[in-house]
Amino acid sequence: MDKNAAGKSFTPYEFRVERGKIREFADAIGDPNPVYRDPVAAAKAGLPGIPAPPTLLRTFLYETPDAKNALGVRDWSYIVHGEQEFEYLAPVVAGDVLTGQDRIVSITEKESKRAGTLQIAVIETTFVNQRGEKVQVARRTLVETGKRISD
Amino acid sequence: MPAFSTIQVGDAPQPLVCGPLTRTDFVRYVGASHDFNPNHHDEIYAQNNGNKTVFGMGMLAGGYCSRLVTEWLGIGSLQRLRIRFASRFWPDDVLTCTAKVTAKREAGGRRLVDCEFTAVNQAGETIIRGDATAALP
Repeated sequence: MDKNAAGKSFTPYEFRVERGKIREFADAIGDPNPVYRDPVAAAKAGLPGIPAPPTLLRTFLYETPDAKNALGVRDWSYIVHGEQEFEYLAPVVAGDVLTGQDRIVSITEKESKRAGTLQIAVIETTFVNQRGEKVQVARRTLVETGKRISD
Repeated sequence: MPAFSTIQVGDAPQPLVCGPLTRTDFVRYVGASHDFNPNHHDEIYAQNNGNKTVFGMGMLAGGYCSRLVTEWLGIGSLQRLRIRFASRFWPDDVLTCTAKVTAKREAGGRRLVDCEFTAVNQAGETIIRGDATAALP
């Protein structure tokens, strides 16, 4: 990885959280909860709209490859997704238009007996809604290993 | 969502059992999540890459865990959620997600419950470890 990439921010990108995508995502994780499908059920549950499932916004991290490209990885078959974290600051509901912006927080090294020198990159994405409210922060940790792995 | 006063350290929801998982389950999540890494849907690619077959997306197992937590502590109560990927899973695997409360605390005027969760396969191997914090009334 290119350690000089640490601290870089990237061009913001905008997307709509569509009701159909929420239902599709809930189906994919086998979640039968009607709040993901029916605005009446969501309102009865006290929610301000059809809510985004907790891990939905990971989907939109594929909107831009800029941060990943900036890491300067030679061969992605040496990279594992080690960890994914979300902070929830305000509700995200169907119809919201979010703006995401990626930043490479850090690139650090760690010695591993099993896999040699590990390089660990943390990419943070901040999501702001159409009212300018910061709604979520997503952090993904990517680990480059000394040996080839498949994920 | 449950009231803060009704939750105790050590409390655990009923485990959530997912599977036996199929390639179709994986492909449905590929479409929903936009994760087009061919190791998860292309048998020939996955085998040429040294795998016995396609394997599941860590975020799918993480999604099952998030479902357990929201069914238990409510949708909209989550303050944070962290998923750590420990091992891979495969077609025909059965994942069992469990969780338990590790702490109760008050911070910034909010009543918070911390919990840990895991997903393990049918052989007892850990696939996912994680933790979450929910604010309860």
